[in-house]
Amino acid sequence: MKKILVVEDEESLRLLYEEELKGEGYDVLTARNGREAIRQLETGKPDLIILDIVMPVMDGMEALGRIVSKERKIPVILNTSYSGYRENFMSWAADAYVTKSHDLTELKKKIRELLEKGKNR
Amino acid sequence: MKKVLAMVLAGGRGERLYPLTRDRAKPAVPFGAIYRIIDFTLSNCVHSGVRRIYLLTQYKSTSLHRHIQFGWSILSAPLGEFIEAVPAQQRIDEHWYQGTGDAIFQNINILQDERPDLVLILSGDHIYRMDYRKMIAFHLEKGADLTVGVIRMDRKLCREFGVVEANADWRMVGFQEKPEEPKTIHGDPGGIMASMGIYVFNTEILVRRLIEDTRSDSSHDFGKDIIPMMIGRDQVFAFDFRRGDYGGTGYWRDVGTIEAYYEANMDLISVTPQLNLYDSGWPILSYQAPSPPAKTVWIEEGRVGTALNSIISNGCIISGGNVKRSILSPRVAIHSFAEVEDSILLEGADIGRNAKIKRAIIDKEVRIPPGMQIGYQLDEDAKRFTVTTSGIVVVPKGIRL
Repeated sequence: MKKILVVEDEESLRLLYEEELKGEGYDVLTARNGREAIRQLETGKPDLIILDIVMPVMDGMEALGRIVSKERKIPVILNTSYSGYRENFMSWAADAYVTKSHDLTELKKKIRELLEKGKNR
Repeated sequence: MKKVLAMVLAGGRGERLYPLTRDRAKPAVPFGAIYRIIDFTLSNCVHSGVRRIYLLTQYKSTSLHRHIQFGWSILSAPLGEFIEAVPAQQRIDEHWYQGTGDAIFQNINILQDERPDLVLILSGDHIYRMDYRKMIAFHLEKGADLTVGVIRMDRKLCREFGVVEANADWRMVGFQEKPEEPKTIHGDPGGIMASMGIYVFNTEILVRRLIEDTRSDSSHDFGKDIIPMMIGRDQVFAFDFRRGDYGGTGYWRDVGTIEAYYEANMDLISVTPQLNLYDSGWPILSYQAPSPPAKTVWIEEGRVGTALNSIISNGCIISGGNVKRSILSPRVAIHSFAEVEDSILLEGADIGRNAKIKRAIIDKEVRIPPGMQIGYQLDEDAKRFTVTTSGIVVVPKGIRL
């Protein structure tokens, strides 16, 4: 079973993602900020990461730099409602960008695509 | 005008220059009596109008930072000019720079903040004079994404360099990192085009390729990984050093070993050195602590202070000793009846009475006691000092003799 790490500071969204992705048959890990995500990366060994940008403690951009330096090939989806993020060079290290929404259709599609791509690597 | 930012890689250990690099990074190693190796690259930058400069330091950087602070606080911040030494900060990951590409990637926030159009990546390890404006103009004229500075070298040196293969239009079609069997220059089977470690990048392409490189199995090095990945995919060109060489002598040295360091220094005392430090059109800037003028003293039977075919810096006192074919950094003292030949004496070295020094490099502030001989019995010297295969003795900093 593929394991997805959801990094999101807002509790209601985190629970929504967790439930929906479990419903899709994924194993789900969660983290409330970048620092927890780095810890989860080491202990939980996820196959894909969904990463919010604006978070307390450690934001998504800083976490992204650390994630790609540690686990070079793990796919990362930046998930945000903040539109200016592409100005930040580090955001270019993500594999996909999905605007935050309660409708997870697009997010689920990207997850499938990236996990599929990972298999063919 | 395009906004250019220089990133100078000054973090190399310079292991083959040991013990000169025991207490300092290679760019901080003294050269040519009053300079440090880094002064050449930085002088090239400021004379080329590239005056937004970050110096990426890493190992043993204290001496380098001090030199930059003392000697290079010369640019005008209100005009947007600066030279800033940035130590490795582990901003992105908890390791030191893994390769030249990683050094830039770890400082991606600098590119983010500065947003230059072009990034000029340089090494702080080399001695040469070059007008980078010529290379930048070439880069723009070709519509390049990356331009690599190249110089002709003898084929037999191929194991030491990245070897560039370019077509008649100077487009790069191949790159081999330190190959056994190099591609030689068309019509010049004894020559290779060697990469000088000088790169002009369009910023956006640089960032994209660095990120790609970071996310792959790689040694994160421009020569080994990033340039080969870009050839055939991006617009990559080679720039012939001769087009940008100030003075037109073709002089470029990587003083990577003690032997090469010694030879490059000694070249300066020849009648017409290849590297002309007396050309005021492209002065090499540096820092020198204020010192009084050099002087010689004593002129009596058997005791005459002399220096022949030598470079003598400020603050030196040649007091009744003899110096031949040597380079004296500031504040060197040569006491009566001492003899110094074919040697490099760094700042503050003190050669006692009757001492004899031949083919040696004496590091800063070393006191050679009266009567001691160095460079005459190499097997004895080798018990205490580094002695190279060609017999150059290096007396390290801080030693008590």
